[in-house]
Amino acid sequence: MVFGSMVRKKPITLSKSTPTHYVNPNWLQRISDISVDRAAQLVVDLHPFRSSEVMEFKEGRHRILMVSDFFYPNFGGVENHIYLLSQCLLKLGHKVVVMTHAYANRSGVRYMTNGLKVYYVPWKPFLMQNTLPTFYGTLPIIRTILIREKISLVHGHQAFSTLCHEALMHARTMGYKVIFTDHSLYGFSDIGSIHMNKVLQFTLADVSQAICVSHTSKENTVLRSGLPPEKVFVIPNAVDTTMFKPAPERLSMDPIVIVVISRLVYRKGADLLVEVIPEVCHLYPNVRFIIGGDGPKRVRLEEMREKHSLQDRVDMLGAVPHAKVRSVLNSGHIFLNSSLTEAFCIAILEAASCGLLTVSTHVGGVPEVLPDDMIVLAKPDPNDMVDAIKKAIRILPRIDPQEMHLRMKEMYSWHDVAKRTEIVYDRALRCSNQTLLERLPRYLTCGAWAGKLFCLVMTIDFILWRLLQLWQPDSEVEPVPDFKRTELKRG
Amino acid sequence: MADQSIISNARFIYVHDNHKFSPPHAVDSHHIIVRRSVVKPIVVYLFAILLVAYAAFLHFEKGKPVTTVIWTFFFGAVLVKFFIWRPIVKESVIIMPEFGVQLETHYGSGRINRCFIPVSKILKSVLNEHVTPVTCCWCLSLLIRDENELTLVFKKSRPPLKMLVPIWKALCAATDCKESFEFQEDVLVRGLY
Repeated sequence: MVFGSMVRKKPITLSKSTPTHYVNPNWLQRISDISVDRAAQLVVDLHPFRSSEVMEFKEGRHRILMVSDFFYPNFGGVENHIYLLSQCLLKLGHKVVVMTHAYANRSGVRYMTNGLKVYYVPWKPFLMQNTLPTFYGTLPIIRTILIREKISLVHGHQAFSTLCHEALMHARTMGYKVIFTDHSLYGFSDIGSIHMNKVLQFTLADVSQAICVSHTSKENTVLRSGLPPEKVFVIPNAVDTTMFKPAPERLSMDPIVIVVISRLVYRKGADLLVEVIPEVCHLYPNVRFIIGGDGPKRVRLEEMREKHSLQDRVDMLGAVPHAKVRSVLNSGHIFLNSSLTEAFCIAILEAASCGLLTVSTHVGGVPEVLPDDMIVLAKPDPNDMVDAIKKAIRILPRIDPQEMHLRMKEMYSWHDVAKRTEIVYDRALRCSNQTLLERLPRYLTCGAWAGKLFCLVMTIDFILWRLLQLWQPDSEVEPVPDFKRTELKRG
Repeated sequence: MADQSIISNARFIYVHDNHKFSPPHAVDSHHIIVRRSVVKPIVVYLFAILLVAYAAFLHFEKGKPVTTVIWTFFFGAVLVKFFIWRPIVKESVIIMPEFGVQLETHYGSGRINRCFIPVSKILKSVLNEHVTPVTCCWCLSLLIRDENELTLVFKKSRPPLKMLVPIWKALCAATDCKESFEFQEDVLVRGLY
C-alpha cells in the first residue's frame, strides 16, 4: 500500500470487485444516493429465525472486533491492513466485526465482502480523522457492540487513533482480552510525541498482547510504552501479489524510468528528492523520473523542475488513485523511496511485487522488508542516495521482474499474516482473567503522577460500567444472529 | 375466534391476534404494549421530592432566594417527564392481506394516530440495525414506492428482535414476497460475489 499518495476530494467508492451490501444505516432513516428500486435489492436478509442454517461456530474460532479510526472509505496502509487481515481471518473461519467512526454520509452498519460487518458509529472525527476523545462517551456503544456480537477479543490498530485507545480501555474494564497493533514509528522529544507516548503507556499497561510490523517497530514501541518485550509479537505486513503483477512484456532499458509514489511531505523525504533528481539527471542522460503523489512539498519539486529545465525528464502525475498504482509502477524499472522514517513500508513491497528494483533510505524497518538482492539501501543523504541509484542502474540488467514477483509471492501473503495473528489471539485468550484491584497496580508503574491519574480514570470507568449495567442489564442487549455465508455460485 | 400469542420482556408486551373471519381473508393484528415499570417511578419521584425539599430547606433555613425552590421544582418536573411519562401506550400493526397495512399509535392522552399503506405501495419490509452514538437497536421498516426514506413501523418503541421477527414474517407474507425468500437468497448469493 502506498502511503497516502491519494488526496481524494470525495470518499472512495469500492470497485466493482468488492461490492458492499448495506442495510439502511443512517439513524436519521434516510437512504442517500440510491433509487428505491436498488434499495429493494440492497437489503441483506439475516434469516434470524432459521437457526439451523446459521453458521455453526466451531471450537477454537474467535470473534474479533477490530477498532480503529482509520478504515474505508479512506485509503491508507492501516485501512488496507485491517481490511485484508479481516478478510483472511474470515476465510479461516473466525468472525470479524470492524468498528470505526462515521465518514461524511456513511454511518451505521454496512456489510462488506464475505460478510465483514462494519459499524460506522456516528461520532464525527474532529482532528486528522480522529474521533473526539471523550474518555467515557464511547462506553455505552462499545459495550452494546461487544455484547450483541458476542465478541471474544478486541484488536485495536494504530497508536494515533483515539477511538482505538478508548475501545481498548473500555474492553479491559469489561474484562475482554485486548490486542494492540502499532503501525508507525514515533519520536520521543517533541510535545506531541510525549503526550501520545503517555497515552500509549496507559493503553498498553494492561494489554494482553501487542503486535508490531517490524523488529525496529517493536523496539520503538517497547521503549515508548514500557511494555515487556515478551508481550510483543512481530508480524510484518504483506502485499496482495495478485493485484501487483509485473507487465507481461519487459520494458526496454532506454530510457531507464525511476518511479516515486508517496505523499510529498517532509516525513517521506520529499526534500531529499529535490537534491537527488537533478544530480541523477545530470549524470545519466537516459534516465527519466515519474513522480506520483501530492502534498505540501509538491511546490518544491515543481520549482526544482523549472530551475533545472527537467520538464521533459520528470513527470509529475499528482495524486494517484490506488487502482492506478499498479500501472504507474509497471511503467518503471526502479522504485525510489526516500522516507526519513518508516516502520515497515508496504510501498516497496508493492514495487518489488511488480518487478521493480528498489532504492531506499536505510531507516526504520526498511532493511527488514526485502532481501539484499532486491533492494539498494542508502543513508538519508543526497550523495549517498545518488551513489545508490548509480549502483541500481548498474545491476538493473540482471533483474528479472517475473522472477522477483514469484519470490515475493512466496515470501509475503496476507493468509500467512492471518495465521500468525491467530496464534497471537490464542495466546491472548490464554491470559488469566483479573479483577480491577489486580489490574490497577499495573497503571501505577506509568509514572509518579500519571500512574495515579490512570488508576483514577480506570476506577471511574469501572463505576460507570456498573451503573450502565444497572440501567440496562446485559441480558437486555440482544445478540445478533450470525451472518449466513452462502457458497459462491459461479456460472 | 382469535388466536393469541404473547411474548413479553421487561419493557414491552407483544400480543398477536390472528382473527380469522370467513375465508379466504384473515386480518392479522400485532400489538406492542409499553410496560410501565414499578420501581423507576418511585425512585424518580423520591429523588425529585428530596431535591425540592432540600431547596426548600436552603430557602427557609439558609436564606437562599425562592427562585432556587422554583428551579428545583421545574428540574424535578423535567426528570419526571423524561423518565416516567410515556406518551405512547401501544403501537399496532394491522395487516390486511392483499389490501394494505395499517399502523396505529395509541397515546397516553387517548389519541390514536392511524396510517394506512396500500399493499401496492409497499416494496418490502426490512429489519434494520440502527446505530446511534450510544446504542444499537433493531428496527422494522417498510420500503415505500416513490419515497426516499424508510417508513418506521414502530415510531417510538424499540421492541426486541424476537418480537419484531414474527411481525416481519407476517408483513413479508402479506405483501406477497413469497418469491422474495428466493429473491433474498439470490441477492445474498449475488452480493457475496
